[in-house]
Amino acid sequence: MAIGIGEVVALASFELAEPLHFSIAEMVALVVACGLSLGIFAWRMRPIAKNILHAKKDVGFSLTHVGRRVWEFVSEVLCQSKVIQQRPLPGLAHAFVFWGFLAFALVTTNHVLTGLRLGVLQHTGVVGDAYFDFVGLWALLVAVSIAGLFVRRFFVRPRWLGTKVSIESGVIAGLIFLLMVSYLAAFTLPADSMALKAWWWVHTLTLLAFLPIIPGTKHLHLLLSPLTVFVKRDGFSDIPKLDESETVEDFGLLAGKDVTQLVALQAYSCVECGRCTEHCPAANTGKVLNPKEIALGVREYLKEFGPASDKPLLNELREGDENPSNSSPDNPAANWLSMEAAFECTTCGACEFQCPVGVQHLPIIVGLRRGAVNTGAWEDKYGTKLFLALEKQGNALGMSAMERDKFVEREQLPIFDGTQEYCLWLGCMGGYDPKGREIIADFARVMRHLGTSFGVLKKEKCTGDPARRLGNDLVFGSLAEQGLKAFEQAKVKKIVAICPHCVRTIATDWREYGVAPEIEHHSEFMARYAHLLPQGDGGAIVYHDPCYLGRYRDVYDEPREVVKKSGELVEAARHRERSFCCGAGGGLAFLGEEPGERVSNVRAKELLATGATTIGTACPFCNTMFRDATAAGEASPAVLDIAQLTARSLVNISTKTEATSIG
Amino acid sequence: MKIVVAVKQVPERDAPVRVAADGRGVDTGDAWTMNEPDAYALEEALQLKERLGEGEVVVLSAGPERVESTLREALAKGADRALHIVLPEDGAGSLAQRDTLGVAQMLAEAVRGESPDLVLTGLQSDDLGAGQTGVVLAELLGLPHVTLVLSVEASAGAKEIRVKRELEDGWFQQIEMPVPALLTIQSGGNRLRYATLMGIKRARSKETKQMDAVAANARHDEVVRVAMPERTRQTEMLTGAADEIAAKLVERLKAEVGI
Repeated sequence: MAIGIGEVVALASFELAEPLHFSIAEMVALVVACGLSLGIFAWRMRPIAKNILHAKKDVGFSLTHVGRRVWEFVSEVLCQSKVIQQRPLPGLAHAFVFWGFLAFALVTTNHVLTGLRLGVLQHTGVVGDAYFDFVGLWALLVAVSIAGLFVRRFFVRPRWLGTKVSIESGVIAGLIFLLMVSYLAAFTLPADSMALKAWWWVHTLTLLAFLPIIPGTKHLHLLLSPLTVFVKRDGFSDIPKLDESETVEDFGLLAGKDVTQLVALQAYSCVECGRCTEHCPAANTGKVLNPKEIALGVREYLKEFGPASDKPLLNELREGDENPSNSSPDNPAANWLSMEAAFECTTCGACEFQCPVGVQHLPIIVGLRRGAVNTGAWEDKYGTKLFLALEKQGNALGMSAMERDKFVEREQLPIFDGTQEYCLWLGCMGGYDPKGREIIADFARVMRHLGTSFGVLKKEKCTGDPARRLGNDLVFGSLAEQGLKAFEQAKVKKIVAICPHCVRTIATDWREYGVAPEIEHHSEFMARYAHLLPQGDGGAIVYHDPCYLGRYRDVYDEPREVVKKSGELVEAARHRERSFCCGAGGGLAFLGEEPGERVSNVRAKELLATGATTIGTACPFCNTMFRDATAAGEASPAVLDIAQLTARSLVNISTKTEATSIG
Repeated sequence: MKIVVAVKQVPERDAPVRVAADGRGVDTGDAWTMNEPDAYALEEALQLKERLGEGEVVVLSAGPERVESTLREALAKGADRALHIVLPEDGAGSLAQRDTLGVAQMLAEAVRGESPDLVLTGLQSDDLGAGQTGVVLAELLGLPHVTLVLSVEASAGAKEIRVKRELEDGWFQQIEMPVPALLTIQSGGNRLRYATLMGIKRARSKETKQMDAVAANARHDEVVRVAMPERTRQTEMLTGAADEIAAKLVERLKAEVGI
């Protein structure tokens, strides 16, 4: 604190000088320049505002949870928390520029008014001078920060900023730098000098040049993103309900006419920082998809065709098709929005989580998929097979329901009859997949050890998760309705499941069709009883955060508590909110081989780089992916679900007791 | 080209099947679906129409009210109209009371009213599997027919079509034949399409015409008994060391399979 005051006192010896006199000619020139600047700004802003305001209304959207919105606004916009937290150095530089701008607001207004002989800020008195000095300090910080960001963008060139050099960014950085330097220069010059007048004009003209550049560039985020952050949809990866009224045909984001105001606002807010690209599993493994280009593609589309257009948003790029049907110079959006890209998303949500300006990628990407699938435009051998399996067999693996019955019988899992506390949800992996069944069997062992009563449903169908993420509303809706009915008929009160995808879909996505009983993930259940579980010694275990448990459900500590009960918890380079996907989400587990490098391989390597001999998972899909990815390696690690880790400790305990009783 | 596709609603694959109390039929659950070979017949008809860029696909089914869900599915996948021959669920006049000839007569009556260029139906039904309805229907309509068809080539307005049918042992047969004709379609020749929300929505405005069935004649055949297959052989585990097991296995294969 003492240093802070000292600095202010030291700066106080410098005084900001302002020109003493402005001629009529100068005042006229200033008015004309201001008019010109504001005029061009408004003229360039108009089509943007039109595209956003004339877009379709967001059905069912309302500005609820104002408290949360205000909190996020204060934290993410005013405090720049996410910007700094996720990219500390450039984040801090950005925050300085932003805070500097806020500090400048009053001074800048006064600056222009001075030129009209209307200056209001008084230089006399401690308060007046202290404020100019305070802003001077910010000017220094902004100048240094923007110079640093300039060096980063044009010389360091991080991959996610794209290969194209953004000249406009350089111009903007130059203008900001000039604004700061011209402000600081006024501290060193006498008020009656020509030089000061010259710097005053430099500052003013830079300011007036800056304004019209904003609308056409990514610097539009200065104006839009505070609003975008405030009005974004409630919830993570929130997929809006389709408009079901008889008179409208709403199948998702099929064409411009389906783009909603929120989507349009978000598309125009994108600042092209590439945080989404940096964390995207598809973009990092050689796929076509780049989430940044999804936002930019929608923006390009709106610029070109407007929000009433019937032209498809996705171009139908097919295998070996050199000239996709609607990709042409007059459809620039087609360069970004391809069917191929839309269906490469694992819906891991890293993009949406990272975005500092409130773009919600998942409703957009899933929306594009809905448009393609709900109209039958998406033709994919594996996708069709999956949908037919869900339609006919009711499970994603396309197996006969009798296979599940056999498993339930073999494991002697009790059938839920209303007397038990929990309904244990098997899910497709738990009911049909051999490895998934092992997880269920081990979790049942843990529940029995804890003395918790549970039962499984006699008949169970898929929650519809893969159909939901791939945009098949028909299949998803029918499965959700059947699932809700099954729980109601069985009088289920509480559900526990081993699959985060099932948990998310039942707890959140089914809400469109009714209210499901309370559901929790088995990590939450086991963490609650952690004190009753034995302490095992399973060596170093690296825990992988599943996307649908972490980013989707904010559950990070519970599975770690369970892992710690089984051995030594090791963290991978990217963990918790920054965890990297296993590649299975978004229905991709059921589609064909992925182009480029397998996402699962990249993540498995990262997990093994910790030196841990066991990979701890909390999702049957992650488990399968890492088993495959590590099976071929030289030192294949154990890939075990947290339920299996716990059950392993239980086995050790029982053999130990046996040993002692024999001894 | 006007195509009539005759489809049957059958119990779902996983539906629990029990022998009925009288031992002469089966009780199924209430889960019903489109007979799979018929789904392929519908797919072929839809693709034919799409390839030709013109035509009409009319889907036809006989059965009680529940059959409407199968007809709606066909309309959702792209059929233009539906014909529903309404039958009682059971008792006199129901599907179970009619033999193949009776069913074909009923379908023939409905098809005649449409005078289509092509009649498609599945090779056989998943529940009874007689494989007769299509060919008997062709006979009643006086149409040439080809069975086990995998694909159909046609050009707009042409009086001839070319069909590819499956023979034994991986052989195929290509046949040129005049239209109108009847084809029974083999499963797996095409890739089935998935139902879409748009299809379901648009199907609501498509017409389903309900028709009365011709009176049922007495069955020519009689179901005497329906029974679950009896387990005649038990699994036997061969035990011992690997070479002992191998020796035992060879002995069994020689003695019992006759290799």
